[in-house]
Amino acid sequence: MDSYDDLSHSEVNDLLRKWRENNERKSSDVVALWMNVLQAHSNKYGNEKYVLLEQIIYAMLDCHLYGLAKGLIYILSLEFPRSLRVMRYKAAALEAEEKYDEALNVLDGIINADETNAPARKRRVAVLKAQGLIHEAIKELVDYLKKFMSDAEAWQELCELYLQVQEYSRAAFCAEELLLHQPHNHLMHQRLADIRYTMGGIDNMELAKTYYCQSLKLNPDNVRALLGLFLVANNLVGHYKSSGSSKRKEAWKLSQWAQSRVTAKQREAKAKLGLTDMMLSLSLAE
Amino acid sequence: MTELLLDPNIRVWVFLPIVIITFLVGIVRHYISIILSSQKKIELLQVQDSQVMIRARLLRENGKYLPRQSFAMRRYWFNNEDTGYFKVQKRAAASQNPMTDPGMMTDMLKGNVTNVLPMIVIGGWINWMFSGFLTTKVPFPLTLRFKPMLQRGVELAYLDASWVSSASWYFLNVFGLRTIYTLVLGENNAADQSKVMQEQMSGAAMAMPPDPKAAFKAEWEALEITEHRWSLANVESDLLATDSSNSL
Amino acid sequence: MSAIVKSKDNKPEPIAYSDAALRNNAAVVEYCRTSMAALSGSTAGVLGLTGLYGFAFYVFAVVILWLMFMIKAGSNWNKYYKSRQSLLTSGFFGALFTYVLFWTFIYGMVHVY
Repeated sequence: MDSYDDLSHSEVNDLLRKWRENNERKSSDVVALWMNVLQAHSNKYGNEKYVLLEQIIYAMLDCHLYGLAKGLIYILSLEFPRSLRVMRYKAAALEAEEKYDEALNVLDGIINADETNAPARKRRVAVLKAQGLIHEAIKELVDYLKKFMSDAEAWQELCELYLQVQEYSRAAFCAEELLLHQPHNHLMHQRLADIRYTMGGIDNMELAKTYYCQSLKLNPDNVRALLGLFLVANNLVGHYKSSGSSKRKEAWKLSQWAQSRVTAKQREAKAKLGLTDMMLSLSLAE
Repeated sequence: MTELLLDPNIRVWVFLPIVIITFLVGIVRHYISIILSSQKKIELLQVQDSQVMIRARLLRENGKYLPRQSFAMRRYWFNNEDTGYFKVQKRAAASQNPMTDPGMMTDMLKGNVTNVLPMIVIGGWINWMFSGFLTTKVPFPLTLRFKPMLQRGVELAYLDASWVSSASWYFLNVFGLRTIYTLVLGENNAADQSKVMQEQMSGAAMAMPPDPKAAFKAEWEALEITEHRWSLANVESDLLATDSSNSL
Repeated sequence: MSAIVKSKDNKPEPIAYSDAALRNNAAVVEYCRTSMAALSGSTAGVLGLTGLYGFAFYVFAVVILWLMFMIKAGSNWNKYYKSRQSLLTSGFFGALFTYVLFWTFIYGMVHVY
């Protein structure tokens, strides 16, 4: 944090803009920079000032500076009266102070005013989640998704919620939706493979194996996928012990291959932990 | 053709002002269209429909990465005769007639007003005000057929067709400054009329064409004929093959 | 945003392009092309080129710009552009109008007055 003292206020502004565009949420740094440097010069930024204020409001809410945040929200509301976007910030402030019912009321007000306002609906789900009411949150989110079917962010959130309540088959459905949106992203395949592996059962194992392989094809450096593949392959080897067919051979080959890749990576990274040893202890004997 | 000598006053009072006028009018048009583009109130149902279309399209394009059963399950949800989304959802057939549909009428009107009208008005004004003399010479030879078009108000039979009047200089400006507007105003500027045509053709995700039934039917047919090719069938052997080729 | 992925296998696999990167590159190319049209138009006007020479100069400038793009992209040009041909010919006529405008303008300023 000390290095920030040397920057002039326009450089600080640029830094904050970079964080804003990259979605980095360094809240305590943002608040410190605002207090020390920017507040005095806030009138010089023109229209960018309001976007900057939004960023600072969220940072302050993260740091529990509720009074100051409300002050800034007040400034915004003076500039944009009756604005639904500012109302969202009011709701966020209420949510941060744990006044959940009032926050829900404000959000309902926004939704009644504008039915197609997606962020307000999503914030409702977030409020329910913050209260720990996961099942209500899931219900709300499913309702939302019935209307806004192509919202990848929402599908991702629903997947995580389902995983939290351990409804794996539904989580797998959500993960597949995500895969439709981004079929070339190795993380999507890997997530789906993780879920299938957790679900268990021979069909899921086969699917998990396929998805791990696809993930590795897209990104050969995905160590998680390598480990996952190793575990799945071993599991399959164990399962096929009785049939002793070509499938077993394939699974065995995959297991060996995954192990050799991980060893190679270990050698590159020169890690101290004996990952290979751990894997060896996990693997089944031929 | 001997070089004609034009009064330098023309340069200062006609040539340059036309350029400046065209440029500034374009910028003003851009900002006016931003102001005039009112908040289109979008119905929830419209948003829902457009999202459904996106999801169906994604399913068609990327369905091959899902296992057969998942793909079939989703296609069933969309296309089934009794319960599928594309079959069940009834939408009132919106009238295509622009006279009776006020929303479309105002949009068309605004589009015409902001784009075509200024061009005609200013072109006419320039023609009226700066007529009767030559403005400039275009550097390339033109045939005689262009003479009446480009040399309004100057009735000289011997004159080379390259010498043009101010109206044609204005139109040359209008066309030439289009790409400059992209530089100055960034993308999506309303001063560039050619983009308006493109926008009307591309389907934006926000506003559905006011006939969802036709769109649904098209999407239904497209989904019906989509084959599911499980593209991950050979991925294990591919993976091992690449590895063996890499490590060798 | 989806990442750029290229996987070459025994059979040619489809290449995934990052949409945002493509659009950004296209915008930058458009910017360069417009600037090139303006500058070369002014040059043609100053030089007093007329008729076919002027248009030949425009084609010459387009080719020079294309060569500069290729040099800048280096040997792995397909990391940045989908195809070299489209880089050469897209936006040809839009920039042509700008070129003619600047050409006429400077020619008028310099030679007629």
